[in-house]
Amino acid sequence: MKQQKKLGFQFIFPFLILIFFLGSATLIGLFFQTQNISETNIVIIYLLFVLLTARLTEGFVYGIFAAFSSTLAFNYFFTEPRYSLQVNNSGYFITFFIMTSIAVITSALTSKIKKSANIALEKEREMRALYFLTNQLTDATDYEGIAETIVRTLSDILQERVACLCFDENGNPQNSFVQCVSKEHVIYRETQNVNDIRYRIAELRTAYFEGEEFCDWPIYGRESVLGVIRIPKSCNMNLTESQKKIIHSMIESTALAMDRLREEKARHKSNQEIMQERFRATFLRSISHDLRTPLSGIMGTAEILMDQTKDNNETYEMISAIYKDADWLHSMVENILNITKIQEGKLVPRKQYEALEEIIESALEHFKRRELEHRIILDIPEQVIIIQMDGKLMMQVFINLLDNAMKHSEKDSEIIVRVMLVPETDQVEISILDSGEGIFDEDIPHIFQMFYASKNLKKEEKHGVGLGLSICQAIVLAHNGTIYAENRKDMAGAVFRILLPLH
Amino acid sequence: MSAYHEAILVVEDDSQIRNFIKYTIEKEGYHFWGCSNAQTAMSLLVTEKIDLLILDLGLPDYDGIEVIKKVREWSDLPIIVVSARDQDQEKVLVLDAGADDYVTKPFSANELLARIRVAIRHLYRSGEMKSNFFEVDNLRIEFDTRTVTLDSKMVHLTPNEYSLLTLLAKNAGKVMTTDTILKEIWGVNYGSDTQALRALMAGLRRKIEQTPGMPHYIITEIGVGYRLRDA
Repeated sequence: MKQQKKLGFQFIFPFLILIFFLGSATLIGLFFQTQNISETNIVIIYLLFVLLTARLTEGFVYGIFAAFSSTLAFNYFFTEPRYSLQVNNSGYFITFFIMTSIAVITSALTSKIKKSANIALEKEREMRALYFLTNQLTDATDYEGIAETIVRTLSDILQERVACLCFDENGNPQNSFVQCVSKEHVIYRETQNVNDIRYRIAELRTAYFEGEEFCDWPIYGRESVLGVIRIPKSCNMNLTESQKKIIHSMIESTALAMDRLREEKARHKSNQEIMQERFRATFLRSISHDLRTPLSGIMGTAEILMDQTKDNNETYEMISAIYKDADWLHSMVENILNITKIQEGKLVPRKQYEALEEIIESALEHFKRRELEHRIILDIPEQVIIIQMDGKLMMQVFINLLDNAMKHSEKDSEIIVRVMLVPETDQVEISILDSGEGIFDEDIPHIFQMFYASKNLKKEEKHGVGLGLSICQAIVLAHNGTIYAENRKDMAGAVFRILLPLH
Repeated sequence: MSAYHEAILVVEDDSQIRNFIKYTIEKEGYHFWGCSNAQTAMSLLVTEKIDLLILDLGLPDYDGIEVIKKVREWSDLPIIVVSARDQDQEKVLVLDAGADDYVTKPFSANELLARIRVAIRHLYRSGEMKSNFFEVDNLRIEFDTRTVTLDSKMVHLTPNEYSLLTLLAKNAGKVMTTDTILKEIWGVNYGSDTQALRALMAGLRRKIEQTPGMPHYIITEIGVGYRLRDA
C-alpha cells in the first residue's frame, strides 16, 4: 500500500510542478500583454519555465511535455484569435516550431546534465564509501572487525541487512556469522549448514551463488576462500551494474584486508615458533651443561676417594656405589636429552660416510672407563662396511644396547657383537647377543615402547625409565633401518638385531 | 726431569671440579694453579711460568674459545679443553682454534692425566731435535727409510696409508680432526670425502691392528677425528 502511494506521489508531483510553471508563465504573459510588452518576451518566459520544469523533474518526459504544452498555451492565450487553438497569422507557425524545438532541446539537455550529475554524485558516494571502507579495514585487527566493517558499509549502501561469514585458516566456515540489523547494530548468529555453504562456494563458477532467500558472494583470498557476503535476494536482484561493481571492489578490499591479517598472523606464529625453538635449544643446552658439571664433580671426587680407600673394602664399596649411581644418572641425562629431540621431531641425522667398525669401537670405548665386567667378543667381517649415517647417534644405539646387555648378564659372561653382510637384501645386520635370562615373550612386542616397564623385572634390579631402547628404535628408523628383539636359540640370552641398508 | 714440577693452570668456574683436578694433578707431582675466570687466567699466564693450560669452555666472563685464540696469538702452550658441551662441531671448532686436546665432562681422573702426559711430552719433544723414528708398544716407524714394523715384522703400507700413519704419529696422543687429515693427505681442494678416509683408515687398521673394532693403536673419536696412542 505504502509503496503504491509513494509511486502515485512520484507520478503526480512533477505533474503539479509542470502545471504550476505553465500557469505562472501564462499569468506573467497575460500581465506582460496588459503592459504592451512584446510577444517575444512572453515566448522567452515560457522557455524559461520549460527549462525550470526539466530541471526540477526526473527524466526528460516532463520536459518534452512542458515544451509542447507551453507552445499550445502560447497559441491558446496569446495569438489571434485568442482563447482558441486556431491561428490567423501563418507566421506564428514558425514561432511555434522554433519555440517547441528550443523548448524540447533545452529540456532534453537539462535532464541529460542532471542525469550525469546524478551519476557523478552516486559515483562519488560510492567512492567515498569505498574509501571509508578501506580506511576502516586498514585499522581492523581481527576478522570480526573486518566482517563488521564490510557488513556495515554494504548495508548502508544497499539499505539492506547484509551478513558476512568468515572462513578459518583451513577454509572451513566459522560457527557464527555477523549480520547488520540497523545502522548502528550488528549481531552474531549461528551458522546453519556450514558444510553446504563450503561446498557451494567451492563449486561456484559465477560471481555469486543464488539461494532461495539470499545471494552469497564469495570473498576470494590469494590462496583460499576467506568468507562469504550474504545479501537478501530481493535486493540482489535489483542491483544495478554499477552497484554490482562497487560490491565487487568492496569484497576485493575486504579480501586484501583479510589476507593481510592472515599473513600477519602467520608471520607472528612463525616468529613465535622461532623464538620457542631458540628457547628450547638454549634450555636443553643449559640443562645438559648444568647437569654434566656437577655430575663431573661427583664422579671425579668419588674416583679420587675410591683411589684412596682401595684398602678399606667397606668404604670403597660405598663410594663405588656413589660413582655408579652418578654414572647411571649421567646416562639418564643423555637419554632424556636424546628423547626430547626425538619427540619433537627434531632428530635429523647428520649423515656422513662412517665405518661401522669405528662406531662399534667408540661405543665400546665408552665402557672402558671402568674395568669391563664382561667378555666382549667382536665378530666383524674382513670387508670394511662404510655407510652413510650419523655416527654420534648410531654410537648411542650401540651404547644403549651394550648397556642393556651388560645389565642383564652375569659378571664375566660373554657379550657378542656380530656384524654380517646380507647381500640378498643389500643390508648389513648387526646383532648384540647376551647370555642373560632372555626376554619374556609377552615383553617382546612392547620392548621398544617408550616408558615400557616389564612386570617381570626383579624388584632390586636397577632399571631405567624405559627410554634406552625406544631411543635405539627412533635412531635406527631415522636411518631407514629396522631393529628387533628376540631370544637366543642356542642358549639363554637375548638378541637385538639391527638391519641397516648399505646404500 | 724429576726435579722440575710442571705448572698447570686450571681455569674452571666450578670449584668442585677444580678441587678434583687439583687433587689429581698434585698427586701426579704437577704444580697447581687455579682460577675461575678468563681474565685472571690471562694475567696469570703472563706473570707466572705456566707449562700447561686446562680450560673450561663455559667461563663466566669470556667464552673459552676466545681464550684459546688469545693465547695462541703469543704462545704454543699446550691447552686441554674441559667442557660439558659435547657437540662434535664444537670439539672440531676448539681443536681448530688451537687447543691440543678435548675432554668431555664427566671425565675420569685417569683420562685427564693421560691427556696431560701426552701434552707435556709434546712440550718437550718440540724443543728437541726432530726424532727420526716413532715408537709405541710394538709399532715402530722409521721416518728416514719410510718403514713400519709391527712386532719387528715389516708392515707394507700404501703411500697414503703411510702418510696417514706418520701424520698421526707426529701428533701422537692428539686428536687430528677429519678435516685436517683430509687436507694433509689429499690437499686443500679435495673437499671432505670422508668415505675415502674411512676406507683408508680401515685398510691401515687391518695391517696394524689385531681386531678391527677393538683397535689398540689408532683410536676413533666419532664426529671429530682420530688419535694415535702415545705410549
